[in-house]
Amino acid sequence: MTRHSLIAFGLILFTVSGALGKKESAVPSALNKQKQLALVRVNVTGQSYDYFRPWQKKAPFSKRALGAVLSKGRVLVTADLVTNQNYVELERAESGEKTAATVEVIDYEANLALLQPVEKSFLDGITPLEIALDTVVGDRLAAWQLEPTGALLATEGLVTTVQMMPYPIDVGEFLTYRISIPMQYRENSYTVPLVKKNKLAGLLLRYDSRSQLLDAIPAPVITHFLKDAESQNYRGFPSAGFSFFPTRDPALREFAGEKGKNAGGVYVTNVEPGTPAMKAGLQVGDMVTEVANNEIDQNGNYVDPLYGKIEFTNLLSAHGYAGDVVPFRVERNGKPMQLNVTLEHRDTKDYVSPPYNLDQPPRYYVLGGLIFQELSRQYLKEWGPNWQREAPQRLVYLDHFQSELFPDRNRRVVILSQVLPANSTIGYDELAYLTVTKVNGKEIKSLDDLAEAVKHPIEGFIKVETEEDPKQIELDAAQVAAEAQDLQDNYGISALHRLN
Amino acid sequence: MKRLLVFTYATLLLGPVLDAQQSTPARPPMEPQGRPDPWRSSPPAQEAIPIPVPMAPPKPNGPVQKSLVRVTATSLDPDYKAPWNAGTLERGVGAGFVISGNRIMTNAHVVANSRYLTVERDGDPNKYPAKVQFIANDCDLALITVSAPDFFKNMLSLQLGGIPALESTVSAYGYPIGGERMSVTTGIVSRVDFQLYTHSSVDQHLAIQISAQINPGNSGGPVMQDGKVVGVAFQGYSGDVAQGVAYMIPTPVIKRFLQDISNGHYDEYPDLAITYAKLQNPAQRRFLGLKDDDRGVLVSSVVAAGPSDGILYPGDVLLAIDGHPIASDANVELEGERAQFEEVVERKFKGDSVKMDVLRNKRPVTVEIKLYKPWPYSVQGHSYDVRPRYVLYGGLLFQPLNLDMLEAYRTADLRVRHFFEYFVLDQLYLQHPDVIVLANILPDPINTYLAPYRGGIVDEVNGKKIRTLDELANALTESPEQLIIRMIGDGPPLVLNRSQIEAARERIKTRYNVLKEQNLEEQPASKGPEQGNKI
Repeated sequence: MTRHSLIAFGLILFTVSGALGKKESAVPSALNKQKQLALVRVNVTGQSYDYFRPWQKKAPFSKRALGAVLSKGRVLVTADLVTNQNYVELERAESGEKTAATVEVIDYEANLALLQPVEKSFLDGITPLEIALDTVVGDRLAAWQLEPTGALLATEGLVTTVQMMPYPIDVGEFLTYRISIPMQYRENSYTVPLVKKNKLAGLLLRYDSRSQLLDAIPAPVITHFLKDAESQNYRGFPSAGFSFFPTRDPALREFAGEKGKNAGGVYVTNVEPGTPAMKAGLQVGDMVTEVANNEIDQNGNYVDPLYGKIEFTNLLSAHGYAGDVVPFRVERNGKPMQLNVTLEHRDTKDYVSPPYNLDQPPRYYVLGGLIFQELSRQYLKEWGPNWQREAPQRLVYLDHFQSELFPDRNRRVVILSQVLPANSTIGYDELAYLTVTKVNGKEIKSLDDLAEAVKHPIEGFIKVETEEDPKQIELDAAQVAAEAQDLQDNYGISALHRLN
Repeated sequence: MKRLLVFTYATLLLGPVLDAQQSTPARPPMEPQGRPDPWRSSPPAQEAIPIPVPMAPPKPNGPVQKSLVRVTATSLDPDYKAPWNAGTLERGVGAGFVISGNRIMTNAHVVANSRYLTVERDGDPNKYPAKVQFIANDCDLALITVSAPDFFKNMLSLQLGGIPALESTVSAYGYPIGGERMSVTTGIVSRVDFQLYTHSSVDQHLAIQISAQINPGNSGGPVMQDGKVVGVAFQGYSGDVAQGVAYMIPTPVIKRFLQDISNGHYDEYPDLAITYAKLQNPAQRRFLGLKDDDRGVLVSSVVAAGPSDGILYPGDVLLAIDGHPIASDANVELEGERAQFEEVVERKFKGDSVKMDVLRNKRPVTVEIKLYKPWPYSVQGHSYDVRPRYVLYGGLLFQPLNLDMLEAYRTADLRVRHFFEYFVLDQLYLQHPDVIVLANILPDPINTYLAPYRGGIVDEVNGKKIRTLDELANALTESPEQLIIRMIGDGPPLVLNRSQIEAARERIKTRYNVLKEQNLEEQPASKGPEQGNKI
């Protein structure tokens, strides 16, 4: 089994995790009176949780990045940068002056975070960036980086595409600018702002140095985030909760009751229970022809006034907020009808296998050397960038098809992730990645179920049943209790379980 | 014995040997690393490095030279991506040796899928056409015969010996790369253990690891000790995985093969078709009511399509097999040697019975199991000398999932891989005896929008569950004008119009040179003597 660290993301080649306080260039700066850029350096030290030893954190990492200074003393960075942070520090580019900062709001899915300096006056003298919402294909944007001296390094690139794309946390798709730009490497080049006429147009999401293509989180997504951040409780980007399929195929259109050859609409293939779409009455087999009064074509695109054709999910994620009611026009067996969908943000707790779990410790339960955990994509990602191929196939399958396999969603998958050799686990030490069905005869749908079930041994034995071979494992309850302290001492386990 | 619990790959020693002059498309590197290559011969990848001539070259034993033959096989390997085609032409070289009854023994992988075979012997310029008499793909052995009346006249037949002792010296004979003539290498017996036989990729039997150099072209050659055959060289690891690890098929496996075919037909290995766990945990032993005597293994699952179904149950503890006590690490003592308890089953034949002493719910019971080979395993292994099954309809190519098909397409699809990997363990074959995959689409105006359905597994046609390829073929033939195919999962239905497809049939057949639109024939279990080289 290979155990990779979680730090690397697909295409982000600008990630810098150098040591803090690295020496600046020795060349004296001639620009003492340079313009006060709306950029600060952001230094982050953090620690990820170790999902293979869930009671501990991994060794600390350091990242140096840039932050865009916005109004009201806020600094915008990517969520990536400050995920699992222990300490965040802002540094003035021109003076090197530093202060601690706090993470005010973070949205892992949209990959955005807002920081605030602890010292409120720290950003004084900086004119904050305004936001440019009008970027279109063909525009030229400048990537702002800092030279070691604190001087501006600006590189210009061309916006080639505006489309919906997946972000690093793969939950839905978001609007993205793709920019052709020959970036240069500098320290701090994480979270590089993209600027149009001195206004913030986007934030670097990933850069591929070979193709020189940069994907940016665009201003409309940033604005959505900022607006949401101003409300009392940050809600997050909403979704409707259904899957769809293009209807270019005439046979499928005919099957769905659609007569017109050129009429638009997408075919609904799945509506997940408990989602806004289900509550609004959307059904499998419906043709969605209009969303928020925008006609949808056969591929699922609407005509955006700025960008032209773009997938209709943008109408929900970038334009809609949780709580908004969005009218859907659908055709069911050829009959038109209107459904009003009240958008919601889908919380990670509403998944059977949550797509991410950041800044929070993983739950686990150690029983006599057996380590139980709940299946999550965060756990699977511990296998590295190729986790879909390298993590245990059955667990990847359960995660990938979770909505199909567990339509009720109201559970977790408890796994016996590994076994620490101990007296009570002799003969079990090669077991790993088994899905737990029952403990002491009780069905297990979460670690809480397991914690309760182990309290009721059967004639002194704790019986664990698994979906896979060996199907059953027994422990001596008294022995487990008697050896618990030894196990903790021997393997340096700070606590035998964490359930909150 | 079938693979149990975790599937670990072993290495084969048969090298597919391509003729250097022949331009045969190279096979994609399908084999996962760490898996033995079957060794027929293949052209040297790089120039050979001259090795100093040894002071005293080992002298080949007289009899071996008069028994050894060089086998050249021209084979047609089915093309699972164009299953209507004859296949890919391959040539390979292996070794064989004469045994009693004017028969030549070699590896199954030397002659599998062969269309034309010749053998040559030392000191004779002729190439003699040969025919496959019996082939056992599950234990990688075959018998071939030569009809030329005088061929065996001056040949000697070799005798079979026993299992050579660890550390004893053995000599391997064959025609490995590096030259034309017979080669001899020596080494010692390193290990005797169960290994995966890579030729089928699903069977495990006893194998002996030797330190003699074995290379592509050694396959099928005898490994000798004291003038007797103690094994047939068959597989090994390629140099980038492990060095000097070579395996031979030991005589118990060879003798079993010869006994199996004595009735004129090869019946294959039977299997208990259970999975089990060792019982080494004291608490678990007490829970199951076992004494502290290191005996017994726990039955984890019983394959419904196998001979133990309804006789053994999950949770049973197997205490003895045919009277041999089973230790908690799954070993029994046979003729003074410790071996995995399945070795008792390994030595039996289809229709034989095995007696098990079982502890069930803490009470002893004795059961008898009449053995046969459960069919679902064959999906997870390679097939030979069979035509791929498929249905082509409207350019949509439907194929049943099996190892050959999976490797041909190198599919990464999670659902397809799940159905393959858990076909037996999760008893998926009960619902889907054939897992029918829409494997490919031959583009045509009638299917131009259907590309996203590729890789789907067929569940229903017009509301009727589809369990086998025959059922699919029937459903497609009998369907009304509108044909609605549902795939497993949440995807949209695949809708076809019969009249359009009928109109497109000839066009698609012509454009893609499709000779036949379907092949539904059952795969023959083995190639008996009456079938000779033909399928």
